[in-house]
Amino acid sequence: MYGGGNTFEGVKTDSVAQEDPVKLGEFEGRIARGEKIEPSDWMPLLYRKQLIRMIEQHAHSEIIGALPEGTWITRAPGFKRKMALMAKVQDEVGHAQLLYSAAETLGKPREQMIDDLITGKSKYSNVFNYPTFTWGDCCFISWLVDAGAIVNQLANAKGSYGPYCRALERICAEESFHLKYGHHCVIYLATGSSKQREMFQDAINRWWPPMMHFFGPADMISTHTPVLMKWKVKMGTNDDMRNQFLDMYVPKVWELGFTLPDPNLAKNSQTGRWNYTEPDWEEFKRVINGDGPCNKERLEVRRIAEERGRWVRKALKSPQAAYVTPLA
Amino acid sequence: MNSLDPRVNRLPSTRYPVPNEPTAPLDQFGTFEVFVVQPKEEKPFQHEGIVHAPNLEMAYVLAKEAFTRRFVCVSLYVVDTTNVAVSPMTEGDVSIYQQIEDRPGQAGEKLSYEIYHLTKRGKQHVHAGTVQAVNGPDAMVKAKHQFNSGKGICSVWVIRTKDIRFTLPDEKDLWNTLPEKKFRDASAYKGGDKLSMFLQSKQNTSDHSGHSDNADQ
Repeated sequence: MYGGGNTFEGVKTDSVAQEDPVKLGEFEGRIARGEKIEPSDWMPLLYRKQLIRMIEQHAHSEIIGALPEGTWITRAPGFKRKMALMAKVQDEVGHAQLLYSAAETLGKPREQMIDDLITGKSKYSNVFNYPTFTWGDCCFISWLVDAGAIVNQLANAKGSYGPYCRALERICAEESFHLKYGHHCVIYLATGSSKQREMFQDAINRWWPPMMHFFGPADMISTHTPVLMKWKVKMGTNDDMRNQFLDMYVPKVWELGFTLPDPNLAKNSQTGRWNYTEPDWEEFKRVINGDGPCNKERLEVRRIAEERGRWVRKALKSPQAAYVTPLA
Repeated sequence: MNSLDPRVNRLPSTRYPVPNEPTAPLDQFGTFEVFVVQPKEEKPFQHEGIVHAPNLEMAYVLAKEAFTRRFVCVSLYVVDTTNVAVSPMTEGDVSIYQQIEDRPGQAGEKLSYEIYHLTKRGKQHVHAGTVQAVNGPDAMVKAKHQFNSGKGICSVWVIRTKDIRFTLPDEKDLWNTLPEKKFRDASAYKGGDKLSMFLQSKQNTSDHSGHSDNADQ
């Protein structure tokens, strides 16, 4: 599960102008022909850095994203829901494994990425810094946060980097289960008792602002944006992704008789785009910088897992099995 | 820790705030490439990805969890990444076999090597066959003569057969229960009927209230 926001700013040191023009021409030619870039190919430094940053954030989001739902496994209503939620949480962690591997092919070791996550150097999707008070919150994540992630992931799967695309294809196949499961849970709440409906409506009211934040602020057009679009690293603007999500899911929420807490939310029939109240981007920045309701808890859980597992890794580690960069 | 999750509240406290840089060196396991046969027996092994593990046996177990959680799986194997010989990647329609030069016959004991082809960038390496050769480079030359179909092959991998951790015949039942795990599949979550009934009743209610409105007028 992954939101696109705040991914592409920050690398300002590389200049594409310093790259070898012949190699750059071949690289761009390959992308223009629709061919994928593989790890052993030459690639510009900016391409490598931005991909590592993007795939790494995506991987962290899967690992951290498993926490707010994972905490509901013991309290999910009934054996079937527990089994499904366990399978879903296991999938999310599995997605992180696939994504870390894809990022590793670009030269950043996995342990370095995990260290950067727990020291706060690398980011993950902001939406997971909010608490899941009720089963309704858990169902909101399973259905709508996953739906948002699928919008992003389907777009990124058409990108240019082979290992990332392969990981995303596998991930998207599994996400179809998550989405159907999440919708199923919400249908049961919607058609249940008035208390159940109320519980989900409350969850929507709590989660709508973070859901709108999920796709990130409107893109700042930096000097790198056009080149990252040309290299098929960035596959659409944050606003495009948000609009696509609203287009697909607002009608489904309304269909179930729920309301969304934004009086300005409506589709403009002339432009085909959705109008909405801009979410509070100051809050978004504050939460990204560590001051959200659950930031400390999320990282602390990861850090404790890392520390508690250290003796096991130490006991198992063998010099015969050496870490090397994955092949593909 | 003050969390909604009682299990989190029970966790021991660790140092906080966090240090900026970890003090320990990276403690990393080895890298292993994973090949899987899914979903039918006659399909060739295909490269699926990697796992990190302390040894080949653990790599096998982790690969089973990471890559064969659903649908049908026939077989799986793993190999240490350092035991995979990799050819360069070609450009356009050029086949890698055009770049592999014949070598004079080499002396030495012949061993079995597995050959994998990548036919298109973005796809996975797929098992093409087995050759007998004295070493990795020799195996690539042998593969050029045995498996070069003339079609564009972007890259070749070669693995000595004895370096592979195969699935043993009695381990195939690892996947026996997969078809039972319907709860992992999207098709197990059909809410359509319930939703249609709900929409129908909503429609009826609004029709009914619409009718009374008109009647009132």
